Amino acid sequence: MNALPSRSRMNDILLMALPPFLLLLVWFAVPHLLTYPAYKLPSIATVGQRIVEAVSDGSLAKAILSSLGRLAMGFMVGNLIAIPLGIAVAMNRHVSDLLRPLMTFLQSIAGIAWVPLAIIWFGLGHGAVVFIIANAIFFASINNTIMGVESIPNTLYRAVRSHGGRGSQVFFNLVLPGALTQIILGFRTSMAYGWRSLVAGEMIAGSSGLGYMTIEAVQWYQTETIIMGIAVIGVLWLLMDRFLFSTLERATVIRWGMVRS
Amino acid sequence: MRLTHSQARALKGMLGILLFIAVWQGSVPLIGLDAYYYPGPIDVWHAAFELVEKGILPVYLSDSAGRYAAGVCIGVASGISFGLLIGLNRTASRMLGPSINFLFSIVEAAWIPIFVIWWGYGYTTILISLSYVIFFPVLYNTLLGVRSVPQVYIHAAQALGANRWQVLSNVILPSALPSIITGFRVGAGFAFRGLVFAEIISAKTGIGFMIFEGTTYHQTARTVVGMIVMGLAWLFINNFYLKPLERATVERWGLITTAETRE
Repeated sequence: MNALPSRSRMNDILLMALPPFLLLLVWFAVPHLLTYPAYKLPSIATVGQRIVEAVSDGSLAKAILSSLGRLAMGFMVGNLIAIPLGIAVAMNRHVSDLLRPLMTFLQSIAGIAWVPLAIIWFGLGHGAVVFIIANAIFFASINNTIMGVESIPNTLYRAVRSHGGRGSQVFFNLVLPGALTQIILGFRTSMAYGWRSLVAGEMIAGSSGLGYMTIEAVQWYQTETIIMGIAVIGVLWLLMDRFLFSTLERATVIRWGMVRS
Repeated sequence: MRLTHSQARALKGMLGILLFIAVWQGSVPLIGLDAYYYPGPIDVWHAAFELVEKGILPVYLSDSAGRYAAGVCIGVASGISFGLLIGLNRTASRMLGPSINFLFSIVEAAWIPIFVIWWGYGYTTILISLSYVIFFPVLYNTLLGVRSVPQVYIHAAQALGANRWQVLSNVILPSALPSIITGFRVGAGFAFRGLVFAEIISAKTGIGFMIFEGTTYHQTARTVVGMIVMGLAWLFINNFYLKPLERATVERWGLITTAETRE
């Protein structure tokens, strides 16, 4: 490998930098060309200043941590209920037939529609938002778990039984590992739903965190805070998606050879 | 009369829903909370009846449907256009790809505050955030569809003297169509949730507004009616529009898109 990036690589970087560069240019030029109330679009310098301020006084870190803490908690609660329940439902054909349409229906109203009820039950703030995240993750995850169990070929069941495997052995040696691939792959999807619910839930029912910070700024016309919030929300998800889930998938399902990398 | 397997399953599913309603109603006296905290199916039924009688529900439903349809149309049209542009033009792909990836990672909810600053509470904000939600799945699936068109078909059409436009309309579009429709279906689902959130934040009518308004006026049963209507509406859209559309396109156009190329 060369120490310097090759020419086509340089070209790529220049090309992909073009749209953000143009955006910044327009953002820079607009105040000189049009007149509008200052709160509609603060200058780049104002936004930069706001970010420096929020980083140095620790308020940004605090908002990020409280949001991520809620997300982690909702993710855990949702999955801890959904995975055992999903396996239990999927292992019995009758139960799964009984619950399937109900699950489909409830899944289509999962998430943000529960916000008002969450507020009534838990009050504004932490509890309501965790409930909404856990709810969204629960319905995504239970569907996934059921799919995972049902994807195990019947031949494998017969193979285990013909070797004398019984109840708990079938469960630990076949059902659990068999469903695990689908469950792990499903984490990414269910987390995406959870993340949406986090941001939206904090906006309606939160009292701290990134979503709350961003919507609260609307009342005070602090557009620079809103822009910071949008950027942070984008970067955080990108980081989670790239590092958390890709690493998890590489360490598990890809290493086990269950899916192609 | 003997039931077929799928009929038996459907019947069991119905039974499951009835059981759920029965357990819900039975739990109301056991939990013993006020209907404000825990409305039962009977409260919900009365609320639904009242909402229909007063004409509120039909108006809200048609408002929501109008917003949803408009947002979906704009989002799908722009998603397909950008998908084709990026899929067919290498420079456009290298230039716009990373930026679009970044935008995709910003959830639509995060944009709503700044949309409110720019366009105020109301129709424009809802419309733009809905189009934003559906834009990305349509774009990515259009891209997937365009990139999986076997080169042989394009060469074949060119060898028969087709110009660029004819290649696009006779080869690339039909073969990408099943994938585009899949993106449309996924995006429509996300947009449906997006609609509720956008209406909670920035509307004075609609199902999302009703879900939120119910609790602020101590009519929790109305909130539950809103949630059920939302679920039913999605099942309706999914089963009567999206699934048949997908099936029809795969049957009509899916001939050249074999299983391997769709992966």
